[in-house]
Amino acid sequence: MDNHKGRKDTLRRNIKLVAAFLAVMLILLTGCMGGGKSEPGGGGSGGGGSGGRTSASGLDISQRVELQFYMLGDAPVDLPLIEAEINKMLVEDLNATVKFNFTTWTDWEQKYRLLLTSGQPVDLIFTAEWTQYQAYAKNGAFLALDDLLPKVAPKLYAFVPQEMWDAVRIDGKIQTVPATWKEYVTFGNVWREDLREKYNLPIPDSLENVEKFLAGIKQNEPDMIPLAANGLFHTPGYYDFKYEPAGVASYGFPYGLYIPYDDPSNVQQFWGSERHLEDLLVMKRWMDNGYISRNVLTTQDTAHTMLVTGKSALMMGDNPNRWNSTNQDMKSTHPDWELGYYPYPLKKGYATPVHPIHNGFAIPISSQNPERALAFYELMVTDKRYNWLTQYGIEGTHFQVTEDGYYEGLSDSFKREGMNGWAWRNPEYMLFDESFEAVNEIFHELDKIAKPDIFTGFAEDWTPYQAERAALEQVRQQYLHPLEVGLVDDVEAGLRTFMEKAKEAGLETIQKSYTEQWLNYLKEAGIQ
Amino acid sequence: MFLMLLPTLLFFLINSYVPMVGIYFAFTRYNFADGLFGSPFVGFENFRFLWQSGKLMQLTLNTIGYNLAFIVLGHTLAIVCAILLSEIGARFFKKLAQSIMFLPYFVSFVLINVIAYNLLNYDTGFINSLLVRWGMEKLDFYGIPWIWVFLIIFFYLWKYLGYYAVIYLAVITGISDEYFEAAKIDGANIFQRIWYITVPMLRPTFIILLLFSLGSIMKGQFELFYQLVGNNGLLFNATDILDTYVYRSIKVTFDIGMATAAGLYQSLFGFVLIMTVNYIIRKVNEDYALF
Amino acid sequence: MKVKDAEYSLLFKTIAYVMVTIFTLVCLFPVLLIISGSLTDNETIVRNGFGLIPEKFSLDGYMYVFKYPTAILRAYGVTIFTTVVGTALGMFFITMAGFVLQRKDFKYRNQFAFYIYFTTLFGGGLVPWYIMLTKYMKLMDTYTVLIYPGLMTPFLIILMRSFIKSAIPDELVESAKIDGANDFRIYRSIVLRLSMPGIATVGLFLALQYWNDWFLSSLFINDTRKYQLQFYLYNIINTVQFIRDMAISSGVSIGNPPTEAMRMAMSVVVTGPIVFLYPFVQRYFVKGLTIGAVKG
Repeated sequence: MDNHKGRKDTLRRNIKLVAAFLAVMLILLTGCMGGGKSEPGGGGSGGGGSGGRTSASGLDISQRVELQFYMLGDAPVDLPLIEAEINKMLVEDLNATVKFNFTTWTDWEQKYRLLLTSGQPVDLIFTAEWTQYQAYAKNGAFLALDDLLPKVAPKLYAFVPQEMWDAVRIDGKIQTVPATWKEYVTFGNVWREDLREKYNLPIPDSLENVEKFLAGIKQNEPDMIPLAANGLFHTPGYYDFKYEPAGVASYGFPYGLYIPYDDPSNVQQFWGSERHLEDLLVMKRWMDNGYISRNVLTTQDTAHTMLVTGKSALMMGDNPNRWNSTNQDMKSTHPDWELGYYPYPLKKGYATPVHPIHNGFAIPISSQNPERALAFYELMVTDKRYNWLTQYGIEGTHFQVTEDGYYEGLSDSFKREGMNGWAWRNPEYMLFDESFEAVNEIFHELDKIAKPDIFTGFAEDWTPYQAERAALEQVRQQYLHPLEVGLVDDVEAGLRTFMEKAKEAGLETIQKSYTEQWLNYLKEAGIQ
Repeated sequence: MFLMLLPTLLFFLINSYVPMVGIYFAFTRYNFADGLFGSPFVGFENFRFLWQSGKLMQLTLNTIGYNLAFIVLGHTLAIVCAILLSEIGARFFKKLAQSIMFLPYFVSFVLINVIAYNLLNYDTGFINSLLVRWGMEKLDFYGIPWIWVFLIIFFYLWKYLGYYAVIYLAVITGISDEYFEAAKIDGANIFQRIWYITVPMLRPTFIILLLFSLGSIMKGQFELFYQLVGNNGLLFNATDILDTYVYRSIKVTFDIGMATAAGLYQSLFGFVLIMTVNYIIRKVNEDYALF
Repeated sequence: MKVKDAEYSLLFKTIAYVMVTIFTLVCLFPVLLIISGSLTDNETIVRNGFGLIPEKFSLDGYMYVFKYPTAILRAYGVTIFTTVVGTALGMFFITMAGFVLQRKDFKYRNQFAFYIYFTTLFGGGLVPWYIMLTKYMKLMDTYTVLIYPGLMTPFLIILMRSFIKSAIPDELVESAKIDGANDFRIYRSIVLRLSMPGIATVGLFLALQYWNDWFLSSLFINDTRKYQLQFYLYNIINTVQFIRDMAISSGVSIGNPPTEAMRMAMSVVVTGPIVFLYPFVQRYFVKGLTIGAVKG
């Protein structure tokens, strides 16, 4: 009986406690809700204080502010030096200081997401299609710059060509400042030229020659794994080489839809088609013949490392700039080795220069000082002092300019473009390494056949099918990837299974919605 | 007395309870302009991806299965180990062994993956080189899903054996010598001493550790699985757990809603499990229960 | 009878030695691989994997790590600082909480234990917590943010509670109360002294938690001078991962990615010292500190 009473007491006690607790929570919650929304950028430069200074373009800069600048990757060792130099000038020019923050590559996507979602003050942040610029922009993460640009950064506004401004519009608004340096990040084959000559193998300028090359390497260098591949690194390259897609989404084709460059409204079903089966069989052949490592899906090495250390001989799908760096890397340890390059556009007949979205800087809506931030960014791009400091370092300490006008690095504490300044490059001020001439040559070749990129400007809105999309991703990783590297014994059956599972996950819903959006985009952009 | 507990309570209030507001994310389609409470309410839409692929049941089973194996094997081995260690006389050896066994805990899973890859890969792996030297066929470990069930369990045990053994050893060290002396005098041999004294004394600790492990059962060991399996689709059926599944799905979108929804599912599951187990334990012996 | 017992004991001890040796070797083997790998020439690692003995000896990995010694030293400093302060402060709170929670005369002990434990089951997720710390508490890029979140974990509190429960008999606390001591005094003179093995264990785990943490640095620290050790390691590893996963789509070119050897060397440098902490702490796992007090 005592026990029973004891239990009732406990129960009553518990209920009282829970009630009290909930009450406390409620009070706190209402407090939180008040300030819970992420605040949209409180305009202007910190209000009040008249009789102050104004900047060159008439901006009120009477209050000192600190700008928060976010870039991806690792900070260069001498960042504090550069920051100090920049701030010396910035205080003069805009009565502001800037703090350069780097997200590093650890969990950068997560950090990027948090920076934008948390509503903490961020004034400038890097954008690219691979940081999901389009999706974030569509979702309202960035400030629209249309009105701000001519007002506080007229030089910058004039500097960037109108087509580029238009190319980065999402929902009709300019939401990022694109980089203006024209480069090509088109794909190509990279191979060990010294080995090719040694064994008299054909230049890998077509798929048949690629295969012959791989076979030749396999025969003559049994310890090597001919294809430098890591995961599905080579797949986009392969598809890009063989077909003429409008753009190359990750892993080849968006949701298995093939959109030919020359006929973009003719959206074709690729996954599960005869062509797909053919390609998969080729991959299987390559795997069976030992051209690809059996552990390609899990290997720790990057494709570049495999090339540089001599483990492999051919890489598919690299861009000219990277080919050059890899070549330089390799020569530092093996001066007698040589890397050849064949750009796919030569075979396809057209080359798409990098889309303006590829490198840009935006102002998140949580920024407290959007106007000053934009003015600062204008300085970064158009003012040579700022530009050189942040791209190359301090002249004399970190770099010097050779007689021929080339860049020569002097210190590892700040390498060329050490702050990952891809976005604020200014073609008029850029300095290049002497070795870059080779890349420039390729760019010239590609210029001759340049055509606009019609794919990257498309901002896909996946919210209507996000659940299916997530499910499809799983299915693809589990069933398609092994097929695409030739690890599945019965290719036909494997492909069938994949298509079934993909349909279960909702492939058709996705494809339907995507195609609609794509066709709409084509109409609005006036493409064909 | 209550005062002594106050800082702790405040800490958890601020750190854990207030952020729980965020659970609401799971039910909205978040957009930046509207913030958390302004974004449109979408009910269970964000949860859809969990069952869309039809894998939910399998994932749940995998997760539970692995975790059970971890818990049962992990703790049994740790207890055995702790007991063995406690009986070893040579102090230097004992100290050395303890330190070495604790080492794996420091090795991050990223490195474990590197080591595993180095041991098991097809082309240059340690084991395959040995096999070749002995004139046998190479094994493609990464292509054989079922082996990984054992491998994953093995690596888990490897990493945490020292860790749990230390806890148990600390408890054993606290057991009074008198009990053992008395037992010896009564004629108990060493096996009996262990069985009737040491093991029961470890029971409370074991139960606590068990309850904690169960609570995070649905969140099992993301790093371990993700690093070892990576993106190797061949192994997914055998080795995918809820965490890795969610991680992969969310990677392609940045949507907070779906991530929170998945987290909520995991939490609910663990919650129900714990309450049940704790209730059962409380019936058996009130002292052992967690609360 | 005595003879039988001695035989059994001998048998048992033999088994003990053998099994422990096996466990130890298994634990040691991969660690040796890492050390060996850190001393191997990188190309050899890529082409042939690495073995117990470096095929081609090279200190390149370590040279890379020590290229900017100030950075590493600073990271050590930061990590040591956060570990020491965090552990000391955390232990203070945890032991108090553990003591209070196991007192049978504390009416609400079960409810509070549940309150604490519940936080491990449910959470609002990363984003709200992040918002809390950055926007409302303004802890971005501070030392506080490295120490504060790790101060108390439910696991350690409950663990502490059971240690104290088994180490301190109720009679002792009773007799102290009768003698007129208040709770805090009891805590200071009795609990702290008698639960040494438990305190040492929990202290060790707490210290390890601080030492191994990289997550907080990743989320909240932008200033490179405040980086913690583990984060350094993770950065190096993740740069490679980024290149692996994103290289194609991003077209980003990162010259000279860190090599395998560098990663291993980094791990050794980062992990090495803490390994020596454990033997020190072992000293406190000594029997017999405990029960004598009751008799007295």
